[in-house]
Amino acid sequence: MTSSPSPSRKALSKIACNRLQKELSEWQVNPPTGFKHKVTDNLQKWIIEVTGAPGTLYANETYNLQVEFPQHYPMESPQVIFVPPAPLHPHIYSNGHICLDILYDSWSPAMTVSSVCISILSMLSSSPEKQRPTDNDRYVKNCKNGRSPKETRWWFHDDKV
Amino acid sequence: MVNEESTSTSYWDNNNGGNNNDQGDFECNICFELAQDPIVTLCGHLFCWPCLYRWLHYHSHSQECPVCKALVQDDKLVPLYGRGKNQTDPRLKRYPGLQIPERPTGQRPETAGPPPQPEAASNLFNFGIGLMGGFMPMATTRIGNFSMGFGGLLPSLFNFQFHGFPDATLYGSAPGYPYGGYHNGFRGVPPHGQERPMAREGNQFDANLKNLLLIVGICVVLFLIL
Repeated sequence: MTSSPSPSRKALSKIACNRLQKELSEWQVNPPTGFKHKVTDNLQKWIIEVTGAPGTLYANETYNLQVEFPQHYPMESPQVIFVPPAPLHPHIYSNGHICLDILYDSWSPAMTVSSVCISILSMLSSSPEKQRPTDNDRYVKNCKNGRSPKETRWWFHDDKV
Repeated sequence: MVNEESTSTSYWDNNNGGNNNDQGDFECNICFELAQDPIVTLCGHLFCWPCLYRWLHYHSHSQECPVCKALVQDDKLVPLYGRGKNQTDPRLKRYPGLQIPERPTGQRPETAGPPPQPEAASNLFNFGIGLMGGFMPMATTRIGNFSMGFGGLLPSLFNFQFHGFPDATLYGSAPGYPYGGYHNGFRGVPPHGQERPMAREGNQFDANLKNLLLIVGICVVLFLIL
């Protein structure tokens, strides 16, 4: 466990701290539909409960998202994974890693936890069938020791789901 | 009195109540704080200069606006200069750990020209010129008469004359404004004390020279005719 530095190891910078406090208070006033922030005293790691949107394959199912913020958030993207059991989805691996470009290459500091959550729900909602990615077993085997999905070189090939 | 007081209180209450929303218009899109050293992209998105610079030069893979992904060029950023807060030299500002250059400066277009002067004023001015340099209109008329008189007889000579005195054509064709250049100079905003006499002198010298040339020209023509 000592070999893989998790992004939460380094404390948040002052800028990151201020921004997260703002995001959190905005979330409390106006949370995105279908999401519930599970209150902890840890500003650097949020646990968010997602409820599948009505009328989709995941209606009424609930999952937990874990959002961890790096020291230089929002210059660097947060690490977002599903806490297993992860939903069955062609872009979500069984270890909870999500293949979604905005979490990696397409991250922008103008995005927020709230906007990321909405993207993830949209991804779930547009799924045509409940299935794992074709390379799930190979990928999960390579990700042992709690490797961060941010270290994966993702290939974003499917813009439909 | 009581009424007035209550309205003013409610005004302040409203202002304070809506403060959070109003302030949102001026929050940096990266740190979500009130923008410091504010800068606006051409696509209209507001950032702190250090926030945007850090994103574009240290973290981003592309030069895109974080909000709308429009191309961002450093030389097309517009700084916002509000009132106050200018006491500290921006160069003395330090952003720990990172080299952040000075915020780009604004691009300042030329000032707008002065509004055109009313008709009456310029007419009066022309009248004044007429009095001052009475000899010049005389010269103009002389040209006019002369060319009229001999134009039919010696058209080639007439042409030559006009090429010789290009300014004379100008005077002749615009009799209302005998001193084209002078007049424009006067149109400027309050004329500086020094400029006026200088312009007058120059113009008079010019006019004298032209007069002299005109006389020489007339002599040549007369000589040719005779």
